[in-house]
Amino acid sequence: MVNYLIVLFAVTLIYFASAERLSTYVRLVALQGLLLCGIAVFELKEVNLANLLFIVAETLLFKTMLLPYLLSRIIRKSGVTKVHRQAVPGFYLLLFSIAGLLISVILAVILVNPFINSIYLAIALFTLLTGLLLIVTHKLIISHLIGFLVVENAVFLFSLAIGNEMPMLINIGILLDIFVGVLILGFFGLRLKPHTNELTMLKD
Amino acid sequence: MFGSTAFLVILALSLLVFAVPEWLKYYFTLGLLVAGIALTSSWSTGMLTGAGQAYELPLFTAATGTRMVLVIDNLSAFFILVVNFTVLIGFLYARGYLEPYKIRMNALRFSIHYFSYLWLWISMLMVVMIRDGIAFLIVWEIMALSSFFLVIFDAEERSIMKTGISYLIQMHVGMFFILVAFLLVQQDTGRMSFDALGEYFSRHRNLPLFLLFFAGFAIKAGFIPLHTWLPEAHPAAPSHVSGVMSGVMIKMGIYGIMRVLASMQSDLLITGVIILIMSLVSGVLGVMMAIVQHDLKRLLAYHSIENIGIIGIGIGLGVIGQATGNGALSLLGYAGGLLHVLNHSLFKSLLFFNAGSVYHAAHTRNIEQTGGLMKRMPWTAILFLAGSLAICGLPPFNGFISEYLIYMGMFGSLSGASLYHSILIVGSIAALSLIGGLAIFCFTKAFGIVFLGEPRSEEAGNAREAGRSMIFPQLATAALILFIGLGSPLVVKPVFDIVTRTWNLGSQPLVTGAFTANLAQISLAGGIFVVTLATLLLYRRYHLSRHVVETGPTWGCGYTAGTPKQQYTATSFAYNYNHIAKPLLQTRKEIEEIGEDEIFPHRRKFLSHSDDLFKRNLVDKPVDWISGLLKRIAVMQTGQIRHYILYAFVFMLIVLLLAMLKII
Amino acid sequence: MAGFILIAVAAFFFPGVILRTKSIASGRKGPAIFQPWKDIAVLLRKGSVFSDTTSLIFRIAPSVTLATITGAMLLLPFAEQKAVLSFEGDFILFAYLLALGKFFTIIAALDTGSSFEGMGASREALFSMLVEPAFFILIATFAMFTGYTSFSVIFNHFFITGNDYVLIYSIIGAYLLVQIAMVENSRLPVDDPKTHLELTMIHEVMILDYSGFDKALIHVGTYLKFALYGSLIYNLVVPAGWNVILQTGLFFAVQALFAMVIGFTESFRARNKMNKNPKFILTLTSIALIAFMVILILTEKLA
Repeated sequence: MVNYLIVLFAVTLIYFASAERLSTYVRLVALQGLLLCGIAVFELKEVNLANLLFIVAETLLFKTMLLPYLLSRIIRKSGVTKVHRQAVPGFYLLLFSIAGLLISVILAVILVNPFINSIYLAIALFTLLTGLLLIVTHKLIISHLIGFLVVENAVFLFSLAIGNEMPMLINIGILLDIFVGVLILGFFGLRLKPHTNELTMLKD
Repeated sequence: MFGSTAFLVILALSLLVFAVPEWLKYYFTLGLLVAGIALTSSWSTGMLTGAGQAYELPLFTAATGTRMVLVIDNLSAFFILVVNFTVLIGFLYARGYLEPYKIRMNALRFSIHYFSYLWLWISMLMVVMIRDGIAFLIVWEIMALSSFFLVIFDAEERSIMKTGISYLIQMHVGMFFILVAFLLVQQDTGRMSFDALGEYFSRHRNLPLFLLFFAGFAIKAGFIPLHTWLPEAHPAAPSHVSGVMSGVMIKMGIYGIMRVLASMQSDLLITGVIILIMSLVSGVLGVMMAIVQHDLKRLLAYHSIENIGIIGIGIGLGVIGQATGNGALSLLGYAGGLLHVLNHSLFKSLLFFNAGSVYHAAHTRNIEQTGGLMKRMPWTAILFLAGSLAICGLPPFNGFISEYLIYMGMFGSLSGASLYHSILIVGSIAALSLIGGLAIFCFTKAFGIVFLGEPRSEEAGNAREAGRSMIFPQLATAALILFIGLGSPLVVKPVFDIVTRTWNLGSQPLVTGAFTANLAQISLAGGIFVVTLATLLLYRRYHLSRHVVETGPTWGCGYTAGTPKQQYTATSFAYNYNHIAKPLLQTRKEIEEIGEDEIFPHRRKFLSHSDDLFKRNLVDKPVDWISGLLKRIAVMQTGQIRHYILYAFVFMLIVLLLAMLKII
Repeated sequence: MAGFILIAVAAFFFPGVILRTKSIASGRKGPAIFQPWKDIAVLLRKGSVFSDTTSLIFRIAPSVTLATITGAMLLLPFAEQKAVLSFEGDFILFAYLLALGKFFTIIAALDTGSSFEGMGASREALFSMLVEPAFFILIATFAMFTGYTSFSVIFNHFFITGNDYVLIYSIIGAYLLVQIAMVENSRLPVDDPKTHLELTMIHEVMILDYSGFDKALIHVGTYLKFALYGSLIYNLVVPAGWNVILQTGLFFAVQALFAMVIGFTESFRARNKMNKNPKFILTLTSIALIAFMVILILTEKLA
């Protein structure tokens, strides 16, 4: 069962590179949260029940429902144009994404380790590279936020890979989630403008 | 078999081209060619059908005491046959092609041209037959020089002379690498010869020497990024010369690489991977740059680069097969590459000769000025179509067979391979299929724009069919293309034998048997296709004869004033592709933008041109930088003798000073 | 031989099912199932009008395309029977035969000297070029997984192991083949078969100038090509070892399902913006690479 979820996760990453609208991004992030919840349920068998329930609740509530809801409210409120502006045309983004997939597979083979499941390692690296790619190739702040969310999913997946040995890591990953949630709430509180690239461009 | 003295006699007789009267020159040269071809082909076929042992033909004994011999082994025999066919066809074609030039040029230039042609052919034959290092380099140089003279045949245009000299310089850069490589071998083994390579390779690391040889031969073959001479030299040369150069001369580089590979003993895996990656890059980038060309011969020149890439993929796979002990991969890779050498020489020379006919009819090489030539030159058009289908690797022509062999090498080796190999091979499969798709894009554009639709210029509208002497050689080549495509088992079996003997793969009866069967099925499929097509066409003719058939203008959606200018041009056909491939192609546009206050804009020109990225960065920029530097030093060249005497005096003073200070 | 006949029979139903699905999805009753073939019969009764600009190529192109499609049909197996022509690497011949058909369609479009058809030709050339690597990578994964290189033999060995990943792989493979079929047959979201207007046209506009017998040939070829891809999907999804009668029934069921999927996609999905199409087609290559990764896991190269 886990295998289906992992492969579906990889497919969502491909769609990140080819998606056009910001609302698609938000839906993909929600889907990824759901998949991560499923993976956590099936994979972590040696963790005690309370911790497992906490992890499941967190991924379900936070990643799948709360964060996407906040993001979509920001998108609607700030009237961001539906199609996100990119610095790099979509075709090349997809080519880089393919390159990222190949690099992560090769790295996973080089870094083989008896404690880590290499499939998790490969997909986690691919997620990391996709997140970085999103941040580097887009101009809007909201796109950077979403890229950061994807990177954070990667960290969560890394921690799941060795979660049976060190359950503390997963909890630290969840703290990272909460940190991002605070970031996003900041957009409401401070009335920053996420549909510009003001915060990311250096001004003199 | 007459032996080598007959060959030497032909060489000597070639000088008589200058003395023969003008009306006889062509036939005399043709006679010498036919005699030489018959002679050398008899050596080749004797070699191939015999026991497969190399034999030697002694020429003479040089002053230093070394015996000069011509050695013909399996590989040489194959290349001799390939060279002979294309050279003969090219010369037969040249008769009609050179007709219009007879008014402009005098007899001496024609003599030089025929003499250079003869010596290009002779030097190419000797390149594949000579093993001794110095003699090899001499013949290599003769090949470069004779092709130089052929390229500048039309040197009244200044740009052609400039191209020719740039070509000569780049050939010498290649020769420099080969010379250094041979010197290294001499220093180690005391002999400067291909036979000494085995000894050298058994004692030292193979890779550095191979890279030196590869650099030199790759410049000749045209691998990217060493290809910068190809797209300039081939359009500048007259078409029969372009066909011969593109068809066989660049294969001499491939021969050199194969010869070195046959002696290599270690470092095979990394060599194979390097060759494979360079060939993939050459193949994909070559055809990507070909799509945006609007000079027909330049487009074909870039396609030669792509096909050299395909040959290189085959060779790379063969080396990887040797390295991993996979006999089937080795056999299929090398056989595919070698067969593609033959196939490419056939269809590329066909296409170049065809381009020459188009040039003569429409007086331009720019495809944007042609169009509608199918109705005016039907034979030329059909032959170009056959060549295009063959070069895209479409069944039932011969390009498909060699690409099939290379594909099968790749697919067959997938199951046992390690992770890295799997990734490399799947990447190669994707790249090879991409090359095929891009080639289809390019040749639908080339054939469609040049031959179909309405004429885009007056010259094209007045084009007339080429003469019979230009069509018959092309027909012969096309017939051979179709024969190899449909009758492939007959051709591939000897190629398999050549490969197993040259690279000591041991006979592989399973693989050869299986593939002969596969190819027989492919021929059957080709036959079924042709029969189905014929049936459909016959039924169509019968059906149309019983119904009303009318003609009318093309449906224009209500336009009442359609003109040929409304058709798609080559640039517009490639526009969406250009948009995707922008970083590589760097097409620049020159247009004066319409200002905001210009109410009635005046006439403007629009120019779009795509430069070769590699030529600009690897050749033009360094050359500009060096000439800038040299211009500053050139200040010293004042032209007045008193300054030069002063320089000599100053030099003597400096030498005196240094000697006094005991520095030198 | 059975495969060949079954594909031909399926082609009778295929276009009708698509049209009916689309009509029902829009709330209409829709034409009869055999209506497209009745239209072809009408075409065969008509004469032809040819343009002055066109030449021999225009006249022979539909026949060439149909001949290539029937040639490709000979290569596909059914159940455990071998195809009529079966040899190692026959999928290469399959792909290149279809490419030969496309080549002739493109140059026939350029032959008319019309800017409409030139536009369609340019787009078709680009999109078919981009979809080739996806198909070949998919076939390479077949070869890697089963160790064989011939359609008939690959499909016979497909469902032997019962690993979890095999099901994922066949789902991805089927999805990919459906998408490739939709691109190659010029359906939504790449191309809109209902119109030939500038914004949407690729395939429909390339055959704009044809009439009578040639147009009938083109339509027959299109329908056969649909059934061809449907047969490929069927072979991927259904194991080859099952009962033959059951398989025949399943074959028609799968073809009908495929037609309905196409119909529903066309009814509910908008056409892509034309310059986003290359990206869409490249997505197919990415998914093919995911399939490749799954195969690497399956063959234990990526533990």
